[in-house]
Amino acid sequence: MTGALVAGLVMGPILIALIALYMAARISGAEVIFYLAATVILGGALGAVLLSNLVHAALSLIATLMGVAAIYLMLLSEFLALVQILVYGGGVIILVIFGLMLTNAQDDPVVTDGSQKPFAFGVGALIAGLFVTAAILAEWGDAGATLIPFPLFGKRLFGDFGLPIIIVAFLLDIAFTGALVNARRAESAGAEEGAR
Amino acid sequence: MIPIQSFLVLSALLFAIGFYGVLARRSAILILISVELMLAAVAINFIAFATYRDPKAFSGLVFALFVIAVAAAEVGLALGIVLRLFRERRTANVDEANSLKW
Repeated sequence: MTGALVAGLVMGPILIALIALYMAARISGAEVIFYLAATVILGGALGAVLLSNLVHAALSLIATLMGVAAIYLMLLSEFLALVQILVYGGGVIILVIFGLMLTNAQDDPVVTDGSQKPFAFGVGALIAGLFVTAAILAEWGDAGATLIPFPLFGKRLFGDFGLPIIIVAFLLDIAFTGALVNARRAESAGAEEGAR
Repeated sequence: MIPIQSFLVLSALLFAIGFYGVLARRSAILILISVELMLAAVAINFIAFATYRDPKAFSGLVFALFVIAVAAAEVGLALGIVLRLFRERRTANVDEANSLKW
Protein backbone atom coordinates (compact mmCIF):
# COMPACT_ATOMS: atom_id res chain seq x y z
CA MET A 1 0.00 0.00 0.00
CA THR A 2 2.70 2.44 0.99
CA GLY A 3 4.77 1.16 -1.90
CA ALA A 4 2.00 2.05 -4.36
CA LEU A 5 1.65 5.48 -2.72
CA VAL A 6 5.37 6.20 -3.02
CA ALA A 7 5.38 4.93 -6.63
CA GLY A 8 2.45 7.21 -7.47
CA LEU A 9 4.04 10.20 -5.76
CA VAL A 10 7.27 9.69 -7.72
CA MET A 11 5.73 8.77 -11.06
CA GLY A 12 3.11 11.54 -11.11
CA PRO A 13 5.44 14.57 -11.17
CA ILE A 14 7.82 12.85 -13.59
CA LEU A 15 4.94 12.10 -15.96
CA ILE A 16 3.68 15.69 -15.72
CA ALA A 17 7.17 17.12 -16.25
CA LEU A 18 7.76 14.89 -19.27
CA ILE A 19 4.41 15.81 -20.84
CA ALA A 20 5.10 19.51 -20.21
CA LEU A 21 8.54 19.22 -21.82
CA TYR A 22 6.98 17.37 -24.76
CA MET A 23 4.30 20.05 -25.20
CA ALA A 24 7.00 22.72 -25.16
CA ALA A 25 8.77 20.71 -27.90
CA ARG A 26 11.93 20.42 -25.82
CA ILE A 27 12.10 16.62 -26.08
CA SER A 28 10.77 14.18 -28.66
CA GLY A 29 8.14 11.50 -28.13
CA ALA A 30 10.78 8.77 -28.16
CA GLU A 31 12.60 10.52 -25.33
CA VAL A 32 9.39 10.75 -23.29
CA ILE A 33 8.95 6.98 -23.61
CA PHE A 34 12.63 6.38 -22.81
CA TYR A 35 12.52 8.43 -19.62
CA LEU A 36 9.25 6.82 -18.55
CA ALA A 37 10.73 3.35 -19.08
CA ALA A 38 13.91 4.41 -17.26
CA THR A 39 11.86 5.65 -14.29
CA VAL A 40 9.93 2.38 -14.16
CA ILE A 41 13.16 0.36 -14.41
CA LEU A 42 15.08 2.25 -11.73
CA GLY A 43 12.07 2.57 -9.42
CA GLY A 44 11.31 -1.14 -9.74
CA ALA A 45 14.97 -2.02 -9.17
CA LEU A 46 15.11 0.15 -6.04
CA GLY A 47 11.93 -1.52 -4.82
CA ALA A 48 13.38 -4.96 -5.53
CA VAL A 49 16.49 -4.32 -3.44
CA LEU A 50 14.98 -2.11 -0.70
CA LEU A 51 11.46 -3.38 0.11
CA SER A 52 11.34 -5.56 3.19
CA ASN A 53 8.23 -7.46 2.08
CA LEU A 54 9.60 -10.22 -0.13
CA VAL A 55 6.53 -10.62 -2.35
CA HIS A 56 6.47 -6.86 -2.97
CA ALA A 57 10.14 -7.03 -3.92
CA ALA A 58 9.39 -9.82 -6.42
CA LEU A 59 6.47 -7.83 -7.84
CA SER A 60 8.59 -4.72 -8.36
CA LEU A 61 11.08 -6.95 -10.18
CA ILE A 62 8.28 -7.53 -12.71
CA ALA A 63 8.02 -3.75 -13.27
CA THR A 64 11.78 -3.58 -13.88
CA LEU A 65 11.80 -6.48 -16.34
CA MET A 66 8.85 -5.11 -18.33
CA GLY A 67 10.60 -1.72 -18.45
CA VAL A 68 13.71 -3.49 -19.74
CA ALA A 69 11.54 -5.04 -22.48
CA ALA A 70 10.39 -1.52 -23.40
CA ILE A 71 14.03 -0.43 -23.59
CA TYR A 72 14.74 -3.35 -25.94
CA LEU A 73 11.91 -2.05 -28.13
CA MET A 74 13.49 1.42 -28.09
CA LEU A 75 16.71 -0.25 -29.23
CA LEU A 76 14.75 -1.65 -32.21
CA SER A 77 15.16 -5.31 -31.24
CA GLU A 78 11.57 -6.44 -30.93
CA PHE A 79 12.44 -10.16 -30.91
CA LEU A 80 14.48 -9.80 -27.73
CA ALA A 81 11.70 -7.72 -26.15
CA LEU A 82 9.25 -10.55 -26.79
CA VAL A 83 11.71 -13.14 -25.49
CA GLN A 84 12.26 -10.99 -22.40
CA ILE A 85 8.54 -10.81 -21.66
CA LEU A 86 8.04 -14.54 -22.31
CA VAL A 87 11.04 -15.82 -20.37
CA TYR A 88 11.02 -13.37 -17.48
CA GLY A 89 7.35 -12.51 -17.15
CA GLY A 90 6.26 -16.07 -17.78
CA GLY A 91 9.03 -18.21 -16.34
CA VAL A 92 11.51 -16.54 -14.04
CA ILE A 93 8.97 -14.53 -12.04
CA ILE A 94 6.80 -17.59 -11.47
CA LEU A 95 9.86 -19.55 -10.32
CA VAL A 96 10.96 -16.77 -7.97
CA ILE A 97 7.52 -16.36 -6.41
CA PHE A 98 7.19 -20.14 -6.02
CA GLY A 99 10.60 -20.15 -4.38
CA LEU A 100 9.57 -17.38 -1.99
CA MET A 101 6.40 -19.19 -1.00
CA LEU A 102 7.94 -22.67 -0.72
CA THR A 103 10.81 -21.51 1.47
CA ASN A 104 8.59 -19.57 3.85
CA ALA A 105 11.13 -16.75 3.66
CA GLN A 106 11.06 -14.18 6.43
CA ASP A 107 10.63 -10.50 5.74
CA ASP A 108 13.46 -9.27 7.92
CA PRO A 109 15.97 -11.88 9.02
CA VAL A 110 17.63 -11.23 12.36
CA VAL A 111 21.09 -9.86 11.65
CA THR A 112 23.66 -10.99 14.18
CA ASP A 113 26.97 -10.04 12.60
CA GLY A 114 26.47 -6.39 11.72
CA SER A 115 24.71 -4.83 8.77
CA GLN A 116 26.38 -4.94 5.36
CA LYS A 117 24.26 -2.09 4.07
CA PRO A 118 26.74 0.82 4.43
CA PHE A 119 29.49 -1.19 2.74
CA ALA A 120 27.10 -2.34 0.02
CA PHE A 121 25.94 1.23 -0.56
CA GLY A 122 29.54 2.41 -0.84
CA VAL A 123 30.43 -0.24 -3.40
CA GLY A 124 27.23 0.40 -5.37
CA ALA A 125 27.84 4.16 -5.45
CA LEU A 126 31.45 3.57 -6.52
CA ILE A 127 30.38 1.31 -9.41
CA ALA A 128 27.63 3.70 -10.49
CA GLY A 129 29.97 6.71 -10.40
CA LEU A 130 32.73 4.91 -12.29
CA PHE A 131 30.50 3.51 -15.06
CA VAL A 132 28.43 6.67 -15.49
CA THR A 133 31.55 8.85 -15.71
CA ALA A 134 33.11 6.48 -18.22
CA ALA A 135 29.95 6.33 -20.35
CA ILE A 136 29.57 10.12 -20.44
CA LEU A 137 33.21 11.00 -21.01
CA ALA A 138 33.88 8.54 -23.83
CA GLU A 139 33.51 9.52 -27.50
CA TRP A 140 30.73 7.44 -28.99
CA GLY A 141 30.26 9.19 -32.33
CA ASP A 142 26.77 10.18 -33.37
CA ALA A 143 25.45 7.00 -34.97
CA GLY A 144 21.81 6.17 -34.33
CA ALA A 145 20.23 2.82 -33.59
CA THR A 146 19.98 0.58 -36.64
CA LEU A 147 17.11 -1.82 -37.17
CA ILE A 148 18.51 -5.31 -37.66
CA PRO A 149 16.18 -7.32 -39.93
CA PHE A 150 14.68 -10.43 -38.44
CA PRO A 151 15.87 -12.92 -41.14
CA LEU A 152 19.44 -11.64 -40.80
CA PHE A 153 19.29 -12.14 -37.05
CA GLY A 154 18.04 -15.70 -37.49
CA LYS A 155 20.77 -16.48 -40.02
CA ARG A 156 23.46 -15.12 -37.72
CA LEU A 157 22.02 -16.90 -34.69
CA PHE A 158 21.65 -20.37 -36.19
CA GLY A 159 24.46 -20.10 -38.76
CA ASP A 160 27.50 -18.50 -37.18
CA PHE A 161 26.44 -19.20 -33.60
CA GLY A 162 25.19 -22.75 -34.17
CA LEU A 163 27.64 -24.44 -31.81
CA PRO A 164 27.07 -21.99 -28.91
CA ILE A 165 23.31 -22.48 -29.35
CA ILE A 166 23.78 -26.22 -28.91
CA ILE A 167 26.00 -25.64 -25.88
CA VAL A 168 23.38 -23.35 -24.32
CA ALA A 169 20.73 -25.99 -24.99
CA PHE A 170 22.86 -28.58 -23.17
CA LEU A 171 23.45 -26.09 -20.35
CA LEU A 172 19.70 -25.55 -19.89
CA ASP A 173 19.13 -29.29 -20.00
CA ILE A 174 21.80 -30.00 -17.40
CA ALA A 175 20.71 -27.12 -15.16
CA PHE A 176 17.09 -28.15 -15.01
CA THR A 177 17.92 -31.83 -14.61
CA GLY A 178 20.19 -30.82 -11.75
CA ALA A 179 17.45 -28.73 -10.19
CA LEU A 180 15.01 -31.64 -10.42
CA VAL A 181 17.49 -34.12 -8.96
CA ASN A 182 18.33 -31.73 -6.13
CA ALA A 183 14.72 -31.18 -5.16
CA ARG A 184 13.75 -34.87 -5.48
CA ARG A 185 16.68 -36.31 -3.59
CA ALA A 186 15.93 -34.08 -0.63
CA GLU A 187 12.37 -35.31 -0.67
CA SER A 188 13.30 -39.01 -0.72
CA ALA A 189 15.92 -38.44 2.00
CA GLY A 190 13.23 -36.87 4.15
CA ALA A 191 10.94 -39.86 3.43
CA GLU A 192 13.69 -42.27 4.49
CA GLU A 193 14.24 -40.37 7.70
CA GLY A 194 10.51 -40.52 8.32
CA ALA A 195 10.56 -44.31 7.72
CA ARG A 196 13.39 -44.78 10.20
CA MET B 1 17.12 10.36 -31.45
CA ILE B 2 18.32 9.05 -28.12
CA PRO B 3 22.12 9.05 -27.73
CA ILE B 4 23.77 5.80 -26.70
CA GLN B 5 24.97 7.43 -23.46
CA SER B 6 21.41 7.39 -22.10
CA PHE B 7 21.22 3.63 -22.41
CA LEU B 8 24.70 3.16 -20.95
CA VAL B 9 23.96 5.39 -17.95
CA LEU B 10 20.66 3.58 -17.37
CA SER B 11 22.34 0.19 -17.44
CA ALA B 12 25.16 1.40 -15.18
CA LEU B 13 22.65 2.59 -12.57
CA LEU B 14 20.69 -0.67 -12.85
CA PHE B 15 23.89 -2.69 -12.44
CA ALA B 16 24.89 -0.67 -9.36
CA ILE B 17 21.46 -1.15 -7.77
CA GLY B 18 21.67 -4.88 -8.43
CA PHE B 19 25.17 -5.00 -6.93
CA TYR B 20 23.91 -3.22 -3.82
CA GLY B 21 21.15 -5.82 -3.54
CA VAL B 22 23.57 -8.73 -3.88
CA LEU B 23 25.75 -7.35 -1.09
CA ALA B 24 23.02 -6.13 1.27
CA ARG B 25 20.34 -8.83 1.11
CA ARG B 26 20.40 -11.94 3.30
CA SER B 27 17.69 -14.06 1.71
CA ALA B 28 19.04 -16.26 -1.08
CA ILE B 29 16.03 -15.60 -3.30
CA LEU B 30 16.39 -11.83 -2.96
CA ILE B 31 20.04 -12.20 -3.95
CA LEU B 32 18.82 -14.08 -7.04
CA ILE B 33 16.46 -11.18 -7.83
CA SER B 34 19.37 -8.74 -7.58
CA VAL B 35 21.46 -10.93 -9.89
CA GLU B 36 18.60 -10.78 -12.37
CA LEU B 37 18.80 -6.97 -12.25
CA MET B 38 22.53 -7.08 -12.99
CA LEU B 39 22.01 -9.49 -15.89
CA ALA B 40 19.29 -7.23 -17.34
CA ALA B 41 21.72 -4.29 -17.16
CA VAL B 42 24.35 -6.30 -19.02
CA ALA B 43 21.82 -7.32 -21.69
CA ILE B 44 20.82 -3.66 -22.22
CA ASN B 45 24.49 -2.81 -22.74
CA PHE B 46 24.97 -5.67 -25.22
CA ILE B 47 21.95 -4.65 -27.28
CA ALA B 48 22.79 -0.93 -27.19
CA PHE B 49 26.31 -1.58 -28.48
CA ALA B 50 24.99 -4.01 -31.11
CA THR B 51 22.39 -1.67 -32.59
CA TYR B 52 24.36 1.59 -32.28
CA ARG B 53 27.94 0.60 -32.93
CA ASP B 54 27.92 -2.75 -34.71
CA PRO B 55 24.88 -3.06 -37.02
CA LYS B 56 26.84 -5.19 -39.52
CA ALA B 57 27.80 -8.09 -37.26
CA PHE B 58 25.43 -7.48 -34.27
CA SER B 59 27.01 -10.16 -32.08
CA GLY B 60 25.63 -8.28 -29.06
CA LEU B 61 22.07 -9.27 -29.90
CA VAL B 62 23.03 -12.94 -29.95
CA PHE B 63 24.88 -12.63 -26.68
CA ALA B 64 21.90 -10.88 -25.09
CA LEU B 65 19.85 -13.95 -26.04
CA PHE B 66 22.50 -16.15 -24.41
CA VAL B 67 22.39 -13.97 -21.29
CA ILE B 68 18.63 -14.48 -21.06
CA ALA B 69 18.98 -18.26 -21.53
CA VAL B 70 21.75 -18.56 -18.95
CA ALA B 71 19.78 -16.41 -16.50
CA ALA B 72 16.80 -18.75 -16.84
CA ALA B 73 19.02 -21.79 -16.22
CA GLU B 74 20.63 -20.06 -13.25
CA VAL B 75 17.30 -19.22 -11.62
CA GLY B 76 16.00 -22.76 -12.05
CA LEU B 77 19.11 -24.42 -10.65
CA ALA B 78 19.57 -21.92 -7.82
CA LEU B 79 15.97 -22.29 -6.70
CA GLY B 80 16.45 -26.07 -6.63
CA ILE B 81 19.48 -25.59 -4.39
CA VAL B 82 17.66 -23.08 -2.18
CA LEU B 83 14.74 -25.50 -1.76
CA ARG B 84 17.19 -28.24 -0.78
CA LEU B 85 18.90 -25.90 1.68
CA PHE B 86 15.55 -24.95 3.16
CA ARG B 87 14.53 -28.58 3.61
CA GLU B 88 17.76 -29.49 5.39
CA ARG B 89 18.29 -26.33 7.44
CA ARG B 90 14.82 -24.72 7.67
CA THR B 91 16.30 -21.44 6.43
CA ALA B 92 16.85 -19.67 3.11
CA ASN B 93 19.26 -17.05 4.43
CA VAL B 94 22.76 -17.20 3.03
CA ASP B 95 24.42 -16.09 6.29
CA GLU B 96 23.05 -19.16 8.04
CA ALA B 97 24.46 -21.57 5.44
CA ASN B 98 27.94 -21.36 6.94
CA SER B 99 29.26 -24.92 7.16
CA LEU B 100 32.26 -24.04 5.01
CA LYS B 101 33.14 -21.01 7.14
CA TRP B 102 35.70 -21.36 9.94
